Amino acid sequence: MNDQESPLDQLRNTAAMLFELAPHTPSRIRLRSGDASIEVHWPQAGPAPATAPATAPAPAPPLVTEEAADDTLVAVRAPLLGTFYRSPAPEAPPFVTPGDKVEKGQQIGIVESMKLMNPVESAVAGTVVEVLVADAAPVEFDQVLLTVTTAGAGDGCAEVFPGGRS
Amino acid sequence: MRFRSVLVANRGEIAVRVVRACRELGIRSIAVYSTADRDAVLGRLGDEQVHIGPAPARRSYLNAAALIEAAVQRGAEAVHPGYGFLSEDPDFAAACADNDLTFVGPPPEVISRFGDKAAARTAMAEAGLPILPGTGTAVEEDEARAAADRIGYPVIIKAVAGGGGRGMEIVTEPGAFAAAYRRTRDTARALFGDDRVCLERFLTAAHHIEVQVLCDEHGNAVHLGLRDCSAQRRRQKLVEESPSPVVSPELADRITAAALRGARAAGYRGAGTFEFLLDPASRDFYFMEANCRIQVEHPVTEMVTGVDLVREQLLIAAGQPLSIRQEDVRPRGVAVECRINAEDPDHGFAPAPGPLVEFVPPGGPFVRVDTHAYPGMTVTPHYDSLIAKVICWGPDRDTALDRMDRALAELRVAGPGVRTTTGFLRELIAHPLFRKGLHTTSLVDRVVAERGPQPPGAHP
Repeated sequence: MNDQESPLDQLRNTAAMLFELAPHTPSRIRLRSGDASIEVHWPQAGPAPATAPATAPAPAPPLVTEEAADDTLVAVRAPLLGTFYRSPAPEAPPFVTPGDKVEKGQQIGIVESMKLMNPVESAVAGTVVEVLVADAAPVEFDQVLLTVTTAGAGDGCAEVFPGGRS
Repeated sequence: MRFRSVLVANRGEIAVRVVRACRELGIRSIAVYSTADRDAVLGRLGDEQVHIGPAPARRSYLNAAALIEAAVQRGAEAVHPGYGFLSEDPDFAAACADNDLTFVGPPPEVISRFGDKAAARTAMAEAGLPILPGTGTAVEEDEARAAADRIGYPVIIKAVAGGGGRGMEIVTEPGAFAAAYRRTRDTARALFGDDRVCLERFLTAAHHIEVQVLCDEHGNAVHLGLRDCSAQRRRQKLVEESPSPVVSPELADRITAAALRGARAAGYRGAGTFEFLLDPASRDFYFMEANCRIQVEHPVTEMVTGVDLVREQLLIAAGQPLSIRQEDVRPRGVAVECRINAEDPDHGFAPAPGPLVEFVPPGGPFVRVDTHAYPGMTVTPHYDSLIAKVICWGPDRDTALDRMDRALAELRVAGPGVRTTTGFLRELIAHPLFRKGLHTTSLVDRVVAERGPQPPGAHP
């Protein structure tokens, strides 16, 4: 032990800040110092969702901890290059916002390419964690548009993962 | 005017070549890449890079919508198509124009005319270019057989929409005609979605001679001399040189004049190549096809003329008049290019891609290497096998060839599973017929045969 703050200490401090922001007392906390990840779980209000599929698509970034088969963060990526729209029409509300439940195959946005509107669907059921691309912003092929957590029964999940996401 | 930004709608060494021309002109270049090329391009090529699609070319480098969308998204003013992929697709050229992008190449209608081999034959015959006896338009089987009998065997059956050496079959005797005819139509339908074919007399051994032209939109047209591409395997060029070792100055004048006549008649614009076959016995030459793009072998012309062809393409497309007149074109010396492919010459030139653990290009005086490769890069199996072009100049052909042999000996390419054509090319350019400059399109098959039977399991 030395006087300097170790990566684990930094993680612990970050986690403590998250507790302040979380709506409920966390039910589970997982810290890792190797890839510097934090997972915070808290009990979920309301009925438990159906069991989520446990598989993640192959190119997902290394966000998944070794035993986290049922609460995986999954990226929804642009199926083609174009312009990303969060809403079905300019004045309409967005397809999804963080915290929304999505079903497998549910439309979460549109990528317009050559004046064709291509629906973007979530490959998994879960909860939208973060939308990473602004409405009407240009996107490349395979760019991460938003992240969905495939929540385990009764659980919500938030993760913090410094770096590695673009 | 000049473009401020150009999207490079290609990959590999030609994308590197176009980016270099852009840099020298102060043009911002936007590179594109498929998932398979991500590591080789991202942060390495051009001023910006855009991920346009997954590995299959159909969904990336052949995906016109993605390329145009990328160009518009990044604010490109022009699109340089390189060679292959969409470089001779009139619909792509037209789609660029529809989106206010300048396509660096001839107008779509010119690409269309030369893309149809039958129409090109007819148009060039009308312009007074010599063509081989054959059929100008697509024909049905009975008519085709009668035409073959009239032309005399051997004949070559060509897909009207074909190109790049694909969709062609040679028939040496009447008994084999029907099967070959049907096979070519089937192949043409599968490859090009167009099963029309035409016929031509086939020259068993010929010199492949081509003329580089540059034409601007102000009515100026110049040629930059000849290239000789007679060293071919299955109509894929392996070694190219400029000038041709077998063409006298007087004959060269007639061939280049024919090419310029054809270019003017077609309303050509940009850099183009008119290909001819030269009969070694009669010394007659015949128009074969015109290529509406920069060619793989363009550096040999650059080395002897001092003209940067890709730069000229970009300036012509921006509406500038040619920077050179015909009298400014004064070729000097001899330049030779060898195509280094990731192929195994001992196994029927089968593709031999893989990671490059070692990649050391040659250097020294009058040696140029155009490549996208570097140590650690993986040669992907998704696209063509060209990994580098080695170009050598000399004041005379012997010096250029000695230099090429030295350069090829310096080139080091190694990695698990990787084989290259380097050793085969050294044997080829050392062959007495090649060394004397007397080789024809039949030489490579002969050298392959002289290497002896291939081991069992070899790909045909």
